[in-house]
Amino acid sequence: MPPQSRPTPDLHDSATPGTDAGTHHPGLIVAVFVVASCGLAYELIAGALASYLLGESVLRFSTIIGTYLFAMGVGSHLSKYVDEKALLARFIDIELMVGLLGGLSACALFLIYAWAGSPFRVSLYALVLLIGVLVGMEIPLVMRLLHQRKQAFEALVSKVLTFDYLGALAVSLLFPLVFAPLLGLARTAVVFGLLNAGIGLWLTHRYRAELPQARALRLRGLLVLAVLLAALAWAQKLTDAAEAGLYGDAIVHQETTPFQRIVLTRWQDDTRLYLNGNLQFSTRDEHRYHEALVHPALAALPQARRVLVLGGGDGLAVREVLKYPQVEQVTLIELDPAMTRLFRDTDDLAALNAHALRDPRVTTVNADAAQWLETATGPGWDLIVADFPDPSHYALGKLYAVPMYRLMARHLAPGGLIVVQSTSPWYAPRAYWCVDATLREAGLHTAPYHASVPSFGEWGFLIAAREAGYRPPSALPAGLRHLDARTVAQMFDFPPDMRAPAVEPNRLNTQMLVHYFEEDWSRQMR
Amino acid sequence: MKRRDFIAGTGALTALPWLAGCTPAAPLVTVLRPGLREGHALREAAALPPPSGELRCGVAILGSGVAGLTAAWRLAREGRRDVLLVDGPEPDGNAAGGVLGGIACPRGAHYLPLPDPGLAHVRELLADLGVLTGGLRDDAPEYDEQTLVHPAAERTLASGTWHEGLLPASSAADATAAARFNADMAAWSARRGEDGRPAFALPLAASSGDPALRALDRQTFARWLQEAGHTHPPLRRYIDYAMRDDYGARPDAVSAWAGLHYFCCRRGRARNAEAGAVLTWPQGLSALTAGLRRVAAVRTLSGHAVALSERRTAVEVMVQTADRRTVTLVADRVICAMPLHVARHIDPALADALPRTALPETAPWLVANLLLDGFPHERPGADLAWDNVVLGGAGLGYVVATHQLTRVARPAATVFTAYRAGWGDVTETRRWLASAGEAELLEFALADLDAAYDRRWRNRLRRAELVLRGHGMAIPGPGFLDAPARALRDRGGRVLHAHADLGGLSLFEEASWWGERAARLLLG
Repeated sequence: MPPQSRPTPDLHDSATPGTDAGTHHPGLIVAVFVVASCGLAYELIAGALASYLLGESVLRFSTIIGTYLFAMGVGSHLSKYVDEKALLARFIDIELMVGLLGGLSACALFLIYAWAGSPFRVSLYALVLLIGVLVGMEIPLVMRLLHQRKQAFEALVSKVLTFDYLGALAVSLLFPLVFAPLLGLARTAVVFGLLNAGIGLWLTHRYRAELPQARALRLRGLLVLAVLLAALAWAQKLTDAAEAGLYGDAIVHQETTPFQRIVLTRWQDDTRLYLNGNLQFSTRDEHRYHEALVHPALAALPQARRVLVLGGGDGLAVREVLKYPQVEQVTLIELDPAMTRLFRDTDDLAALNAHALRDPRVTTVNADAAQWLETATGPGWDLIVADFPDPSHYALGKLYAVPMYRLMARHLAPGGLIVVQSTSPWYAPRAYWCVDATLREAGLHTAPYHASVPSFGEWGFLIAAREAGYRPPSALPAGLRHLDARTVAQMFDFPPDMRAPAVEPNRLNTQMLVHYFEEDWSRQMR
Repeated sequence: MKRRDFIAGTGALTALPWLAGCTPAAPLVTVLRPGLREGHALREAAALPPPSGELRCGVAILGSGVAGLTAAWRLAREGRRDVLLVDGPEPDGNAAGGVLGGIACPRGAHYLPLPDPGLAHVRELLADLGVLTGGLRDDAPEYDEQTLVHPAAERTLASGTWHEGLLPASSAADATAAARFNADMAAWSARRGEDGRPAFALPLAASSGDPALRALDRQTFARWLQEAGHTHPPLRRYIDYAMRDDYGARPDAVSAWAGLHYFCCRRGRARNAEAGAVLTWPQGLSALTAGLRRVAAVRTLSGHAVALSERRTAVEVMVQTADRRTVTLVADRVICAMPLHVARHIDPALADALPRTALPETAPWLVANLLLDGFPHERPGADLAWDNVVLGGAGLGYVVATHQLTRVARPAATVFTAYRAGWGDVTETRRWLASAGEAELLEFALADLDAAYDRRWRNRLRRAELVLRGHGMAIPGPGFLDAPARALRDRGGRVLHAHADLGGLSLFEEASWWGERAARLLLG
């Protein structure tokens, strides 16, 4: 982090020697300390926030600090236009304004960032500029105030600058060590805002005899204080969601539906979807997951016309399915209408699935996939993609049990395939091979394979068919990023350290899969 | 250790729903008192309109509870086509089910323990219904896993925390007491009488007749427990719960023989389930009664018998139909598949042989189906299970009707079925159940849920259907094995009796066995 410095205060010509600064006006000297602390705090907060949300921390910090220092220079310059007679009142006004703007800066920036499409960078630098100008006026005004009060010039400069730099030191240490970790960025900013406003109010009280508009000032001060206190209470919520360590990145969309909590985060070019706090995909590598989920099965089915996708309301699996021109009908069964709406109607999210959910070949049904399958009629499907959440508890374990696979098999067209996302054969080997055993228990032939998805680790899938004889495809559609015929062939190879352990199939009444899953993963989380 | 289920045959009487006058925020309450009106009309010998028609059949089955339907199923299976089933005032008896807010739920008993090979008729019936899927005669057959209870099966609320399982084991003392009790019960379970038959078996008739064992029937279970040293309070709360659940009474009103029978008579196993597994369905045992009706495909008359007289060449039965007509039913043979306290009002011969005082006492039973528009916030500890019991609670806990479904997400709505039995003086309780208002009954039904959740759970409650049975089940008090009703078992003539009351335990297996037995006797 580059060192912070301040421009030389714009000193008044008519400085007259007087008594030692601070002896008679300790309030103003305390103000210098607080003002310096707060000034640096806003700068650090803006820098941290920018590198946090936009990445590239060196660039963000140097541009933020540069802008801030420049703005302070502008502020120092402007301070000379402040009327000598109203010096104290204007200084208090500036304190209140800095408190308000600086205090709310982090919350405002979080919010602006969360509104997809709003000009975050412009808002960020504009806010930094504004706060910088106001902060830049503070020290020159304090010096003029002390000067008015007959301070000796040498003592004045030395005292003011000493407390200025001491304040800066205090904050530069406290910010990364105490405030940011303890309060988070949003609340730290509000706390410093409160300090600014507090100084303003205190000065109003201390010098009320000299201030003709003391009442109005106090009123304004109390108003700012109230706004900041409200923000402090509310910032907790914002920071809980954004910084509780759950997501790490900035939240660009959050929504609680009757079914789940949907959170989308973005950090630079990486968009992530979390459902109930569990990562569903990262745009950095989701192509690996979804190509692996769809193509080994679908590329082996040149006659496939009808594809059923169970789960996966993000449309990313559907996007892969649509790469086959012979596919005439894709039906997506997604429980949560909010998910399909989000990934169909929000432009930047729909771009992730190449607007797959608006394709005329795609029918979206918002229903519980298990319930839908129980009652579904109509011709069989050439491919059924089962992209269900991991079997982390009993209710979800049922989606991976023998009856579910028998049910799916009944909905297969002759020669059709089922593909199942089936947890990690590396982290949860017994869980993975339990899904395999369950499919076989349901009378299906299986082809186990795995792919490396950095966000998830080594991930496993299973292709299942009523008939034996599945062969990995030798040709794949054009435009895939991860898969080619050679990679696909390798996916079906399990090296010695990933061989199948002996496991029992998953039955509804025993739920071995949930036990395996829990035990295997808890071993990883040690 | 599993809780058992009870089920009597035809209880009494049609549903009598009326809607609650409720404020907008209050749940809509429906109170059903199956059989109350018809039963009391019988007792008071209310006048009937003159018969408006006559029906003839070979066999008339009066009552469509488990006994009557098993008889119908057996007769159909053996090729009898001249059978007429008179549904009775309470179709499906204690195995009734319903639908609340589109969700199937029980209106009576909700599960069936795995039958051992001695319950051949139950196994055969389950095989016919597709529940038993292989190894009919094996010690451990295979069952449709959809019907085997899915985990988590049971949990118990004790000292503010949910624990897995029903038998409390949260402290070392609990565990010691439980282990000692289990070991004791295992020993009794393995015990055989001098006649070589198991001490405790289902059907009851298969149990040993050894007088040394039968002597247990002369004392209360409470006294037996005391003498055997099973006095650990949490263990006793569990046993108390078990007795109220199956017998509708506390251990001090239950025969020691019946108490031990509860813990020692189940030996059923499955190839594809752990020991102690049970069969269950979202709609409870009405899945089985509906299945029996489907398989038997028996001609059914909607109505209930009000009088029966045995002639030399036939039996004449007066039936009041659902549309309030009276018809005369003339049958060669009759299977009287209704509770004995109802049967004695229909059959004058029975009234003489069985004075009211000779009948077993019966326990009131409340089944409350509660439609929730979401799952309430849970206390710490074990997750929501199929069966949820509040240890030391006023009721018998609650069952989650949607537990057996396979769903991607928790359903947006569910039904919790809360049970209560075995409280207060039975006569007073019956009087109260017959007259209490909906609000009062609802408060009573919600006791365990109020204990299990913070009060906000009630915000989820949309509808409540309260099923009240004044005579839910026979209480096997001391001496029940030698009750005068035994005389009916071998009563000759054209009228055969079939009901769990004949044995004295309100259990599916027992009711079904009496139905099977009547059909077999009739078939010769």
